[in-house]
Amino acid sequence: MSKKKSSLGRQKIPIEKIPKKSHLQVTFSKRRSGLFKKASELCTLCGVEIAIVVFSPADKAFSFGHPEVESIIDRYLSRNPPPECSAHQLVEAHRNANVRDLNMQLTQLLNHLEVEKKRGEELDHVRKARQRQFWWESPIDELGLHELLQLKVSIEDLKKNLGKHASKIMMEQSNMSSQIVAANGLGRFDAFETKPGAGMNIASTLPNNAYYLGFRHAYL
Amino acid sequence: MTRKKVKLAFIVNDSSRKATYKKRKKGLMKKVGELSTLCGIDACAILYSPYDPQPEVWPSPLGVQRVLAKFRRMPEMEQSKKMVNQDSFLRQRILKAKDQLKKQRKDNMEKEITQLMFQCLSAGKILQNLSMVDLNDLVWLIDQNLKDINRRIEVLTKKAQSQPQIVAPMVTSGVAKIEEKVQVSYGHGLDLDMNMDIMQKQNWFTNLLNSGGGGDEALPFEDVNHQNGFWPNPFFH
Repeated sequence: MSKKKSSLGRQKIPIEKIPKKSHLQVTFSKRRSGLFKKASELCTLCGVEIAIVVFSPADKAFSFGHPEVESIIDRYLSRNPPPECSAHQLVEAHRNANVRDLNMQLTQLLNHLEVEKKRGEELDHVRKARQRQFWWESPIDELGLHELLQLKVSIEDLKKNLGKHASKIMMEQSNMSSQIVAANGLGRFDAFETKPGAGMNIASTLPNNAYYLGFRHAYL
Repeated sequence: MTRKKVKLAFIVNDSSRKATYKKRKKGLMKKVGELSTLCGIDACAILYSPYDPQPEVWPSPLGVQRVLAKFRRMPEMEQSKKMVNQDSFLRQRILKAKDQLKKQRKDNMEKEITQLMFQCLSAGKILQNLSMVDLNDLVWLIDQNLKDINRRIEVLTKKAQSQPQIVAPMVTSGVAKIEEKVQVSYGHGLDLDMNMDIMQKQNWFTNLLNSGGGGDEALPFEDVNHQNGFWPNPFFH
């Protein structure tokens, strides 16, 4: 199996105008974004004020400023020192508190993302390892025709079984709920109303353990 | 250069903050210059710090004047269209991170359900403790996989048709008698245990090909834990 890299990774390039237009556009996009990110970090970490103005290859103006692009430009052009009145400082304090919160939120999200990415890599790793043992776990594009046919049959059959399994469960559930109504006068409960995406163990919704054991015996 | 992860918050330690400021300021100015050169575009940066009454600028006071003049010549709307401050910039990054997280979670869920499907296939039966949600996800995933499988089958059969027909060896290699008819009982229990040997499987497969996909005779799950690639391969690898 050929290894496919999603990107070339970090490569050293000479600092001179990029010859290819499409490459140039992509580079502008990425580097502009990275530049603003670095500027944002510098402001947060060191409490500085900054304005950056860049023009895209299409002559669109992109700017980043802290606290504001306009105020920094005005301050620079007029050579006036910034106002130091208390009202101004209060505004600054609020603004900084807000930025603090946003930074915390962003950091948390990026951490979650890191965790999920690692989880994804683990899952990929497990699957790759399993592929050596179980040929049907290989990517579909790598399977031969009769392997595909066989796999297709197996999967269709599994699907059939799943459908039957599901109907059985629903039948059991309706039997069970009528029993429960009889037993403790509670109304019908919906064991399968779960939040989307939450896989829930059936056992955990059944109030009566003894009944669950009985249920299991029927199907094992 | 240190590669420790830095917490995204104001650095309280004065000397540490100053050191960071020096390094990052230098790096930032370098990046502005690179962007300008690589893409052949106009750019400028103005930086006010507590360490210097005069702002640090790039490329030069004259260069900054020129770029600011070009900027200010534009209509107000064009100036502010792509203007951001910390607040709006961070919000944009947060939205992007949320999207990426959602997508990554979805991909991981799909990978897990795929594993579940493979486990059912290897075990030859449906695992217990599956919730209705899991079952629904499994069925959906199976449908997705069937789509891909069918598509691929079509591609391969088209290819085969454009090549001279080669009889698959396993069809002609001596077919042994079927030793044991495997019981498939859907009514009671889902324990579909199949220990077949290779010849039986070949036979089954031959039947499958001949009958054009017989439904009920098809044996669903293989217990192939100790078997690897038992189909002598043909022409498609």
